[in-house]
Amino acid sequence: MKIKKYPAFWWVMGITALTYPGINYMFIGVYKNITEQQSSSGQIVKALIGNPFSFPEAWRTVAYFSSLFVFIPAIVIILLITNEYTYKTNRQNIIDGWSRRTFLTGKLFDVIILSVIVTALYFVVALVIGLSNTTHPAADNWKLAYYTGLFALQTFSQLSLAFMVGLLIRKSFIALAVFAFYFIIAEPISVNVLKYKYKNEIGEYFPLEISHRLLPKPAFIGRINQDAYNSALKAVNSHIFYTLILILITWAFCFWINNRRDL
Amino acid sequence: MYNDSSFIAIFHKQINYYRVSVLTLQNISKSYGKIQALNKLSFEIPPGCVFGVLGPNGSGKTTLLSIILDVLKADTGNFLWFGQPGSPEQRKKIGSLLETPNFYHYLSAVNNLKITNSISGRGSANAIDDVLQKVNLYERRNSRFSSYSLGMKQRLAIAAALLGEPKVLVLDEPTNGLDPVGIAEIRELMIALNKQGHTIIMASHLLDEVEKVCTHVAILKRGELITTGHVNDVLVDDDIVEIGADNIDALAAAVYSYRQDIKVTRDENKIQLILPKGTAKLDEINSYCFSKDIVLNHLLFKKKRLEAKFFELTNN
Repeated sequence: MKIKKYPAFWWVMGITALTYPGINYMFIGVYKNITEQQSSSGQIVKALIGNPFSFPEAWRTVAYFSSLFVFIPAIVIILLITNEYTYKTNRQNIIDGWSRRTFLTGKLFDVIILSVIVTALYFVVALVIGLSNTTHPAADNWKLAYYTGLFALQTFSQLSLAFMVGLLIRKSFIALAVFAFYFIIAEPISVNVLKYKYKNEIGEYFPLEISHRLLPKPAFIGRINQDAYNSALKAVNSHIFYTLILILITWAFCFWINNRRDL
Repeated sequence: MYNDSSFIAIFHKQINYYRVSVLTLQNISKSYGKIQALNKLSFEIPPGCVFGVLGPNGSGKTTLLSIILDVLKADTGNFLWFGQPGSPEQRKKIGSLLETPNFYHYLSAVNNLKITNSISGRGSANAIDDVLQKVNLYERRNSRFSSYSLGMKQRLAIAAALLGEPKVLVLDEPTNGLDPVGIAEIRELMIALNKQGHTIIMASHLLDEVEKVCTHVAILKRGELITTGHVNDVLVDDDIVEIGADNIDALAAAVYSYRQDIKVTRDENKIQLILPKGTAKLDEINSYCFSKDIVLNHLLFKKKRLEAKFFELTNN
């Protein structure tokens, strides 16, 4: 009932439902603008990158573009936990007879539910885009459908980090600002500065980057540097492992801190 | 049929049930940085009482209630509910209102109480309607919590505490934000619940409220327990007799040997005798002074106000 009747949840889910197809259709529009040109350059681009929105590549392309907007459902996650502190309803839940562990387990399920909803949205968008852009149905339409699982894992990992930020900071606007700053500015800049200026790959293990590497760039972008793209594809399996470890650490820390501190 | 030994065992069990304290505090301490909010607090709350935790602002009342409800962790010491360490299962059986009404602002009164019901297992759909009627919120039961006035929010918090008629109620400043009629209603409700056998633990800074509602009291001051016991013993309103005579020094010397159980204070022209409640006898004092060759020119009986007693206890 807490989620079902929470207006902010439906607003943000509505925005997410518009954003995920929106961003993908925007890139489809750009792609069509270039490739439908009769000029030689348009035809070269078409020959070079193929159609990233047809099956099976659509699974990967849509997953990549959609994953850039995980901060939108992260808003709901942050609000769900910080509101409990703002209105002291977490206290009331404990007073009414929940253990701290039960309270946080409930929140864990909220994050899981939201991850499932967001993944389902991705699945539908990828399916619709794939079907509408695939002219010749082939047997390997579902070849890259496993990206649904990778997308789910990345979403859950990043929403878990958003939850941790909310749990630690407790104030809605500060938590939202900190997460947005880290997600959009701090980590991407740090990772790239380390990589390109200091030739250091340590950024690979930064909290968001760990799961970010589950979904490599779409193949047509990867062709700019084929070696780097191939190694990114190879690294996915190890990043599945790192992401699982990170998720475990994130939630173990959340349970530990929730159990220790005053409410 | 019971045989003799099983009957005795059941009898002892029943006796122990009534003997065991509802709440036992053992050396509870809590600090916030350098501020010592509670310092080695120990006392017991007997079953069937209305127990007031009385103290000025910042004395540690809410901290104490937060600890026994597991919202705060004590630095040292422990507490027992019915002789057992605190647990979620025990809290489910306790109706509580802590500090401020804490509800989901976007949910109605009914939906908020459904959450209380689903967590605690106390009450039912019918019980929700009953408690909302009891606190006069039934007409607004489907309005959002965020649209309520402070008094209505407080009423909803009381309704949540009363849901399922728990045998123990923990209420922190329960009449906070209520209008005079609401205050009177809640006080009457607490007295009625106590008569039905409910134990009520109530924090308040209102001496008048504690005096009217509580059977027992613990007085806190800056986290220290000043005193605890039956309200009539702790908050006894002493008798004060003010006397004067031409020779005030001779009068002072004489009254010191009048009785052992009195306190004497004096200023330039008058002397105050503080006697236990109901023991001041003006004719006896007058005769005693006269027997010491002192003629009183001033003899006045005053009843000590409870507030003065409270200030004296808490040194405020």
